[in-house]
Amino acid sequence: MEWFAKLAETELAKKITAAFITEDRWKLYFEGLGVTLQVSLFAVIIGIVIGTIVAIMKLSTKKNGKPTILAHIANIYIDIIRGTPAVLQLLIMYYGVFYFSRNAVLVAAISFGINSGAYVAEIIRAGILAVDKGQTEAGRSLGLSGAQTMIYIVLPQAFKNVLPPLVNEFIVLIKETAIVGYVGLSDLTRVANQIRSKTYDAFTSLIGAAILYFILVKILTKLLGILERRLRKSDRR
Amino acid sequence: MIDVKNLYKKFDDLEVLKGVSYHINPGEKIVIVGPSGSGKSTFLRCLNLLETPTAGEIVFDGEVITDPKTDINQVRRHMGMVFQHFNLFNNLTILQNITLAPVKLKIMTEEEAKEKAMQLLERVGLVDKADAYPSSLSGGQKQRIAIVRSLAMNPKVMLFDEPTSALDPEMVGEVLEVMKELADAGMTMVVVTHEMGFAKEVGTKVLFMDEGQIVEENTPEEFFSNPQSERLQEFLSKVL
Repeated sequence: MEWFAKLAETELAKKITAAFITEDRWKLYFEGLGVTLQVSLFAVIIGIVIGTIVAIMKLSTKKNGKPTILAHIANIYIDIIRGTPAVLQLLIMYYGVFYFSRNAVLVAAISFGINSGAYVAEIIRAGILAVDKGQTEAGRSLGLSGAQTMIYIVLPQAFKNVLPPLVNEFIVLIKETAIVGYVGLSDLTRVANQIRSKTYDAFTSLIGAAILYFILVKILTKLLGILERRLRKSDRR
Repeated sequence: MIDVKNLYKKFDDLEVLKGVSYHINPGEKIVIVGPSGSGKSTFLRCLNLLETPTAGEIVFDGEVITDPKTDINQVRRHMGMVFQHFNLFNNLTILQNITLAPVKLKIMTEEEAKEKAMQLLERVGLVDKADAYPSSLSGGQKQRIAIVRSLAMNPKVMLFDEPTSALDPEMVGEVLEVMKELADAGMTMVVVTHEMGFAKEVGTKVLFMDEGQIVEENTPEEFFSNPQSERLQEFLSKVL
């Protein structure tokens, strides 16, 4: 066991101990990861709901083929969200719009959901446009309403078509939540940064956080890959 | 049953239908032929308002369906349509394709719709495909399913928009066979097609459309043996 004692004496081992083991610091990383996951998960759900609604709004046309007022509203929303930094949106939400609520997780989730919704809307719009017009015509010819045709026929195919870019958007979103420290949330990034300032060792705690993000994204990519294969079932020849 | 009065349809600057009037009686099998771009598909698609006519009136079972106040979804339940490119729902199995509309529109329960679907599948010999997805079917099979899907709604009239034009030649027969059986069973049918044999054999009336108008209308025998207008004579000399 002499080699082990020697190993524990090395500089690296001391750093690792300080960054992860002293005062049970490893727990803080996982608490931070929990915050990151909470914000991301709610934001993804809000993003999909908003994105789908906005995509349909943007595609709505009047009888003469001109865009409706809803389509204009959707465009303005997308423009504003894409044209401003996410961190600014978060600050405006937390200190401005939701000044009365100090539930930072909820406000952050809503803020990121609204942000993500703009990008998701464009992805889903592309997916809807890629579904053959004949699918809609067949649905309508059977007496289904426009909404029923959209829900049962067009959207399922649209989602399947755009699953890869959607997954990409969610991965970006998870990492973007690293700015929630701005509104006082102790997410994974902020925790790592706080430990850095305690240990005077930047490298170890930050790399630790980076590895956790990486593993999280890797697991999600795998899970969504399985989902995608299941959805592709109807393509099997 | 369907009364079309002075129908006009314009796409931007292109006038596709220039005053089409026609009356379809129950049980009739109307076959519409004509060169491409003559407006025959547009005419057919106006009948269930997949295209909105620019002017004119369509009355179906006493209801003015071109009136904006008419609930077109209600009307379409009674008008089946079969498309050139089948348009089966790619995300659903064959059985789901057939039962979706009757169940979602609350016309049948899930069980009733399923039973009806299986009966219809039996009629076209595709029971074994019930749980397959459309992508695994041949063109002829897809089109037979598309017909079945429309029939599951118990329509009063069936509209066919070039149902065999996208099929490989060896599959045309199986689809026409189903259509013939349907005709024999008394279904009212409006068929846009290039199959002159089908027009002769099944049609009660054959219409010739050209440049957005019905140029000639006759019984199949007279239509093919004794064409009146020069344009029809020219058309027949090319296709027969």
